[in-house]
Amino acid sequence: MSDRMRIALLLAPAMTVIVVLFFGGLAVGVMRSFNWMPVIGLTEPNLDAYRAVLSDPDFLRSFGLTLYISITSTLISAVIAIAAALLLRQSFAGRGAINLLFQLNLTVPHIVGAIGVLYLFSQSGFFARMAFHIGLIARPAEFPALVFDPFAIGIILQYVWKEVPFIGVIVLAQMQALGTDYESVARSLGASRWQAFRHVLLPLILPGVLSASIIVFAFTFGAYEVPLLLGASHPQALPVLAYKTYTDVDLAARPEAMAMAVVIALLSALMIWAYLRATRARLRS
Amino acid sequence: MTRVLLSELTKTYPGTAAPALDRLTLDVPSGELIALLGPSGCGKTTTMKMIAGLLEPTSGDITFDGRSILWEKPENRGVVMVFQNYLLFPYMSVADNVGFGLRMRKVPKDQIAARVTEMLALVKLPDLGRRRPSELSGGQQQRVALARALIVQPKVLLLDEPLSNLDAHLRIEMRDLIRGIQKDLGITTIFVTHDHEEAVVLADRVALILNGQLRQYEVPDAFYRRPADAEVAAFFGGKNVLPGVSAHGTFDGPLGRLTLPDGARPGPGLLTFRPESVRIGPAPVNALKARVSERLYLGSRTRLRLTVGETVVDAVLSPDLVEGIRPGDEITINLPPGSLWIMAGTR
Repeated sequence: MSDRMRIALLLAPAMTVIVVLFFGGLAVGVMRSFNWMPVIGLTEPNLDAYRAVLSDPDFLRSFGLTLYISITSTLISAVIAIAAALLLRQSFAGRGAINLLFQLNLTVPHIVGAIGVLYLFSQSGFFARMAFHIGLIARPAEFPALVFDPFAIGIILQYVWKEVPFIGVIVLAQMQALGTDYESVARSLGASRWQAFRHVLLPLILPGVLSASIIVFAFTFGAYEVPLLLGASHPQALPVLAYKTYTDVDLAARPEAMAMAVVIALLSALMIWAYLRATRARLRS
Repeated sequence: MTRVLLSELTKTYPGTAAPALDRLTLDVPSGELIALLGPSGCGKTTTMKMIAGLLEPTSGDITFDGRSILWEKPENRGVVMVFQNYLLFPYMSVADNVGFGLRMRKVPKDQIAARVTEMLALVKLPDLGRRRPSELSGGQQQRVALARALIVQPKVLLLDEPLSNLDAHLRIEMRDLIRGIQKDLGITTIFVTHDHEEAVVLADRVALILNGQLRQYEVPDAFYRRPADAEVAAFFGGKNVLPGVSAHGTFDGPLGRLTLPDGARPGPGLLTFRPESVRIGPAPVNALKARVSERLYLGSRTRLRLTVGETVVDAVLSPDLVEGIRPGDEITINLPPGSLWIMAGTR
């Protein structure tokens, strides 16, 4: 048996699982989104589901909300992560402890973080009770709505908490690899501290920041559990809406759910493509 | 034109006992080109970074024209440092790299463009402004780094191992370029290097630092002819160091009695002379019988290892002077009194 054959054979079980479950599921989903479901007698593929979804104001609102959540959480996370990395690359007493704390929540699942946010920030949560006890508010409803709110603050808070270390670790590694010599050059050429950051360090770490941010954006755009737990009931984040539509008693709604899922998948695929481009640009430079 | 004075400059890094730099006092006259020479880890780069304001001294002072600059931020000192690995900003064109310092000072664009063209011409790289640094050779990158430094008209220019990364013919070209520009613009320039050849070909004066301390600060020639001590001589490749006693213009040591030049240091000491100073043939004074124990052809020169009695003498001579001399031969050599130098110490 040739080496090639052996490798192919050894990989076959894993590949079968990936191909059948992932691509199989994807293929079925895409077929259904085109209204092609022979089991219930739909054998003529068409674009009805997409037409219905794209003209549905609820879908558009959900799409807008999800986009807002993803962009806001990604931007805030990236800014905080860069600031944290700038701090952590310097040596100071207790840096090790802070670094550990900084990375600790990388291991905590999103759903656990979401429950934490719920317990801490909801109107019956820890901070609301504290505020009540010290007399800042008289009733729970006076506590600002940070969870289930129209601005999705709870969701964004959870994502920021979880993603800051993720981007931060990548950026910190990049800063440490670069060292501070480039900034020293800039300073001695007359750049202020801020100018050295803005014109030298930031462009140098941008590829890393960008690729990490793209991953965060794609994840937050497609994630389901956090907006389900912390989101308002209307409008809902796109993945929540898609799942709800999918589990609707009306089987005819399934193609629409699939169409939404395909939209999410397409956007994620676009992000992965952008990510690959960004990392390739980094490898080149 | 700026006179740079380092006084008692000391740097001790946290967590280390011995200072990386120990009370260095150095007077750099305005417009001169000075080499800080020493093995790696001797504190030279530390010194540069302190002058540039990238590192704070533990104690001591740095003054420019008599005024302390320790409290000035790096960007306000008028000191530009060119790093050994050039550190051109990779995402900028060559022209943008050169114009960086002026952009930070918010100089109008058209003025920057004109100055960039001028600087690229000065370092003999016209027409490369649009390239990326990665498209340039090492020598070209270094010139861009130099142009980027010079465009801000620094008072003091610091160069980190300016010739180390270059091959032999580029070294000479770069040396001429640096010296030419430095003399034309009259910028007080300090460069560090671990290579004594790099130091002597480029510098007006060399400051040799060993173990964080200044050992000798003089014109390059002095390190060959008049080394301060045996360690300095060894750093400059001097192998002929012999103990003995100097008195009344003569030196008694392993080579017998030798005639010294006028003004030689009296008392017990170490005699040294360069391998290049050894002459072949008889002479009225300091003639010695020597046996050739080894012969090594070096291309433009030939190295002979000789034994005079029990003592080994190293000689480097022009190949045509030693034609026909084989290991085992007995020859007469002489040491011109002017080439002999007595150092302190007894070994």
